[in-house]
Amino acid sequence: MPAAVASDKSRGGASSVSFQGATKRYGHSSTPAVDHLDLEVEAGEICVLVGPSGCGKTTSMRMVNRMVELTEGDILIGGESVKKRDAAKLRREIGYVIQQIGLFPHRTISQNIGTVPALLGWDKDRIRARTIELLDLIGPDPELADRFPVQLSGGQQQRVGVARALAVDPPVMLMDEPFGAVDPINRERLQNEFLRLQAEIKKTILFVTHDIDEAIKMGDRIAIMKQHGRVEQYATPAEILMTPANEFVEDFVGADRALKRLSLMRVGDIDLWRAPNAHPGQPTAEVRAELADPQVEVPYALLVDADERPLGWLSQRDLAGDTIPDRADAPLGPVLDTGDVMRAALADLLQGESMYPPAADRSGGIAGFLSIEIISEFLASPMAKIDEQGAAERPLGPDRASEIAADE
Amino acid sequence: MNSAVISGPLAAGGGAESFFHERSGETLPCQARAAHLFCWDWATEHINRFGTPALQQFELVVISVVIGFAIAFAFALLAHRYRPLQWPFLAGTGVLFAIPSIAFFLLLLPITGRGRETAIIALSAYTLQIIYRNVMQGLNNVPESAKDSARGMGLTRRQILWKVELPLAIPEIIGGIRIATVSTVAIATLAVFAHAGGLGTQIYTAGNETFPTAIIIAGGIAILMALGIDAVLLTVQRLTTPWRRAQKEAVA
Repeated sequence: MPAAVASDKSRGGASSVSFQGATKRYGHSSTPAVDHLDLEVEAGEICVLVGPSGCGKTTSMRMVNRMVELTEGDILIGGESVKKRDAAKLRREIGYVIQQIGLFPHRTISQNIGTVPALLGWDKDRIRARTIELLDLIGPDPELADRFPVQLSGGQQQRVGVARALAVDPPVMLMDEPFGAVDPINRERLQNEFLRLQAEIKKTILFVTHDIDEAIKMGDRIAIMKQHGRVEQYATPAEILMTPANEFVEDFVGADRALKRLSLMRVGDIDLWRAPNAHPGQPTAEVRAELADPQVEVPYALLVDADERPLGWLSQRDLAGDTIPDRADAPLGPVLDTGDVMRAALADLLQGESMYPPAADRSGGIAGFLSIEIISEFLASPMAKIDEQGAAERPLGPDRASEIAADE
Repeated sequence: MNSAVISGPLAAGGGAESFFHERSGETLPCQARAAHLFCWDWATEHINRFGTPALQQFELVVISVVIGFAIAFAFALLAHRYRPLQWPFLAGTGVLFAIPSIAFFLLLLPITGRGRETAIIALSAYTLQIIYRNVMQGLNNVPESAKDSARGMGLTRRQILWKVELPLAIPEIIGGIRIATVSTVAIATLAVFAHAGGLGTQIYTAGNETFPTAIIIAGGIAILMALGIDAVLLTVQRLTTPWRRAQKEAVA
């Protein structure tokens, strides 16, 4: 798989997309569907256009590959006006994925993926090799290459849709609610896989959705649109959550959506924290050394019995002596289950005395420890990207957590 | 013993006699018995006389359906490209389809004269409506999403038509040709009224009203011909649409 990705990079690259007063007016209607849209999408970023239905987000997107012709203004791809290009040729260089997928029912999976390469006159061997490469990378199994779309599940079909759009490694991709027709569990998986893929291929992507959760998850930047393609706010997900530009954005983002997302996740789905385990009679120096390890997130040591079953938390007093006592100062508190829904786990966490409730897996062993930080990080998951850039550290963490506490 | 059966407008039209071929040869035993449906002796003795009419019939059907398909297909493509044309085409072919068949042959006689051309014109005209409707339906049934993604991937309008829309319309198109063929086999028996030969020569024969063996043989050949052509077309349809079978299996 990494080899395939590397060859992608060498071929592809990404282009910026620039909307410059882009306007679409249908027929004689006085109110334009999209009114003087200005938007800069940087190369290699996912820009999500989100807004209520009829806000002009799909029209805006479709003007990029001239599926909808501009009435006024211009759109530049890599500095070049789309208006100067032959529409069909332009479209071959722009990946296109739609909610209904639009696979050709009469063509096999590999023929579907090979559509644009064939239009560009690639020879058969090259098309075949590229098809297998893409199926390896995105799925489904290359063994299904000669099946017809109807023989695939919805999720598999959408993978083929994405693979087909990437066939000639286009610098720009347009995705119109690409995961909208897939069931929630598969959607989550497709979204995650697509983000992983995008981290490798770094395309410029215009992504249309009406779902703010999806926008927050997928977008490097989000353009929140109102009627006539008017952008109410264009910012990173973190900025939009932290400082909504106006009431419309605030309403659209919604206060309870993050909590709803918690219901979709289970404790076992997230990366839990680790804590030092201490056995009675063990030298305290060992445990103190472990506590000092920056890899260990929980700042307390857990006392466990010979069977690794948790007994309680060790206090500073417990660790003052030479050896670990056989009783812990602080009670253990509630023990979560990795199968618990995150929202329920959060309620336990807030009600219990412990700040770091352990989560037991199916075998009864401790899988890890939950913390308020993990949850706030999860709620603000796209903001992890800010960390990477060193711009800020988990800006929503404590605020968000107290807000949730207040809600509960 | 043998006399013209049909009277009225046909007989009065002049030359009615010539539509009907006088049956020659001696009288066979079963021919004498009244209400005898099928005479094997007569059939075995006279089977050769059906060869040429059957061939004529087959040629009429194939030529007429090919011409009808070419015209109807062109109409459908035009109407598909220029939508306002679809209703005039539908109405026009509908009017042709509604003309009573014998009347059609007789109406054409003064214009195009006696012979195969006249029969082919009438028979082709009858196939237009069926084939046109089916091609249109096939094109209209192509999923919008397939067309949209085709356009979005940079297929030109012509490429979308030939690579996406028409292949997906094959089941309906061949379906239309099948119906048109079967009905043309039946109607082509009337080509005898245009002096174009065919199995009709053996059906509209004086004396058949009391001795229907020839009608049964000619009818049987027509049915076999219809079924045979239909089977061939069905095979073509299956071979050109492997994805349809996949679809049926997936649903089942």
